[in-house]
Amino acid sequence: MKTIDQTVLKNIVGENNIKTDPSDLYAYGSDASVHHAFPWAVVRPENTAQVQEILKYANQNLIPVIPRGSGSGMCGQTVPIHGGIVLDMKRMNKILEINLADVYCRVQPGVIDDDLNLALKQYGVFYPPTPASSRIATIGGEISNNASGVRSVKYGATRDAVLGMKVVLANGDLVTLGTRTRVEASGYQLHKLMVGSEGTLGVIVEATLSFVPLPEFRCMGIANFDSLQDAGETIGDIMASGTIPSMLELVDSVAIKAVNKTMNLGLKEVAAALIFEADGMVREAVDYEINKMTAICKKHRGKDIRSSYDSKERAKIFLGRKKLFPALSKYDDNLASTSLADDMAVPYSKMAEMAGKIHEIADRHNIVMTAYGHCGSGCMHTKILMDTRRKDQWASAKKAITEVYEFVRSVNGTTSAEHGIGLSKAQAFKIEKSDSLNMLAAIKTALDPNNILNPGKISQAPENWVTATNLRYSVNS
Amino acid sequence: MNTEIMKFKHLEKWQSTLANCIRCGYCFEHCPLYKHTGWETDAPRAKIITAFGLLSKEIEPTRAAAHKLFSCFYCKRCEAACSSGVLLTEIFTDAKKDLLELGLCGPGTTSTTRTSCAKCLVCLAACPHEARSFDGKNIVTDPSRCQACGICIEVCPAGAATIENTFGTGRNELIDKAADFLASHKAAKAIVFACNWSYFPELQASTLPESEMTDKQYKILVNMCGGRLEPQLLMAPFLNNAWGVLAACCPDDDCQHGGNLRARKIIANLKNTFKTLEIDPDRIQMVQIPAGDKTLFQAEIDTFIARINTMGPIR
Repeated sequence: MKTIDQTVLKNIVGENNIKTDPSDLYAYGSDASVHHAFPWAVVRPENTAQVQEILKYANQNLIPVIPRGSGSGMCGQTVPIHGGIVLDMKRMNKILEINLADVYCRVQPGVIDDDLNLALKQYGVFYPPTPASSRIATIGGEISNNASGVRSVKYGATRDAVLGMKVVLANGDLVTLGTRTRVEASGYQLHKLMVGSEGTLGVIVEATLSFVPLPEFRCMGIANFDSLQDAGETIGDIMASGTIPSMLELVDSVAIKAVNKTMNLGLKEVAAALIFEADGMVREAVDYEINKMTAICKKHRGKDIRSSYDSKERAKIFLGRKKLFPALSKYDDNLASTSLADDMAVPYSKMAEMAGKIHEIADRHNIVMTAYGHCGSGCMHTKILMDTRRKDQWASAKKAITEVYEFVRSVNGTTSAEHGIGLSKAQAFKIEKSDSLNMLAAIKTALDPNNILNPGKISQAPENWVTATNLRYSVNS
Repeated sequence: MNTEIMKFKHLEKWQSTLANCIRCGYCFEHCPLYKHTGWETDAPRAKIITAFGLLSKEIEPTRAAAHKLFSCFYCKRCEAACSSGVLLTEIFTDAKKDLLELGLCGPGTTSTTRTSCAKCLVCLAACPHEARSFDGKNIVTDPSRCQACGICIEVCPAGAATIENTFGTGRNELIDKAADFLASHKAAKAIVFACNWSYFPELQASTLPESEMTDKQYKILVNMCGGRLEPQLLMAPFLNNAWGVLAACCPDDDCQHGGNLRARKIIANLKNTFKTLEIDPDRIQMVQIPAGDKTLFQAEIDTFIARINTMGPIR
């Protein structure tokens, strides 16, 4: 561990904006992943100039710097495995401009996603990437992970909504990347490179984002299926039919049972359910999309099909999906819901096979796994429920994850759809991107020659994540 | 890490719960301590992590660690929002019991008594949590029972009962915030005091562009429990040219501290005073909002603003 000159940091951010007590550092060593490691200090910059000063100091003294939003990442992106300074960006929380004429807004990285949408709502527009954690997720964190959510099928992920940004580089230089225009054809689109870079290439201090009109009409439907295969074929058919759903979600039998077990919602325990939604400015157009999706569900033996424009009815339809995340946490007192192999993407035609494969792997390794996700964008979520105190359960989980990723690669899928790589998915990521890792390393070296920005992540992450990095759990030997 | 449990006999039973917390952080937006300081270390998740760290011996039971676990207003909004169903405040209370046995008592948000105490014992009767007692010489607080509702502070005639770490909910802090808002916003005309359960329909942690902030007619200030409202706090905005004051409390029987009943009495008295002064008593009102009903709260605020707009400023 290197020595940090606290006086220097205090002079930059003020003494009330630095924490070095071990109990504070311990709390900042976690996010929503399975990992934990102690940082050496936590500082909260208030403006760009302070971020520049901190990075100049860290770069000169070869101290790691880990930018952090709300710490809601699920793969250990902000866990400081090499120590260093955690840069808590939540004080830079100003919505700087809402420009309706030019259809963009400018925000600081610590702005909360839901807050931005609350501010935009009064103008009849919204910022669409919105992940499930939008109530706490910061825009900076979302950009760093290329976050997305249930509506990515129609509106895209964060990368699609970022027009430009200001970034402080490892040496403290401030650069303006991208533009404020809708299109740009000049150069390497470096702002897009920053999206999903997980704090390894620079510190985002301002972002220019596009927004879209709030739809006048929204209609949501649900269909039950007696076979996962039928549900999977329905997904492929819907996406190939020219329909543009604003949401297309799959929930499998394990997930339905989990929700019923913990929430007593009385959902019909079928093999799979599909939740579909269309939105738009003209009701006839929304009707057309919903009718088309309903017909495709029927064609593939979907049953109990219903749909509604009413907001309360829509909330009822979505309740089972909404409650799934907490339901999995409450599934069994002795089982923790862990984010491992949690957001693969596979081609539409492989969704059903993927879900079936997850069940088969889980059964074989005697662990509980579920399959659900934003199948309209090919994203398949899983959670592994296990007794985190048991070493043998970790060994089983590791084997299961390895097999899941082998399947994903065999069908030309990808390691992460929206949660990022961080630590827990680095091993699979490196295998998937084996022929371009040199390019990634070259980019990293060019922008951060001293490797101070969030070191040990993505392509630098340890091969054996279970033993090479700290787990946040107490594991009995 | 090796599991080695000793010393923390109350916390021990929560071991699997502490591991099962998925650390999603959804509790942040509900915590008045976090909203005030912006430090994650003051958020409920950090307290759970701290308790886990103590139990698994990753961190030492220090005064700083204790301060975190003793700092909580027990509004329990984090529990209501927890996606894993973790009973956070019960864990905090058990952690406090263990830390007390180790000789660590905060300071946190536990109410204390200054030497100016007249020993009238009013606070003992008023405390809804039986946290205060008289040891023959002084009034003492049991930190494991105190839920920092602040009712002892409001009933103390000598001004001796106090909470040292107010996290922005202290009377003078609220008075200053109200005065700042009324002086710095052109359209400002009302202060809304909300108990934390009202769950204000405003931005959580972000700030709007200056151009939009100047048009704001009202500001919501969180005073934790309606039981902490008292005449000085409620009247202060009128001295700074407020047109009206709205107080939001829990519905009857919902308040865990019985604070809404106190608030109703105080506001009824103030309304009578207004009548005597020939000021429209509708300029001060109390509304009762079920937990988390943002829509109703916003509607009540809009109705109140519309009403005081028909009255204009107090002459």
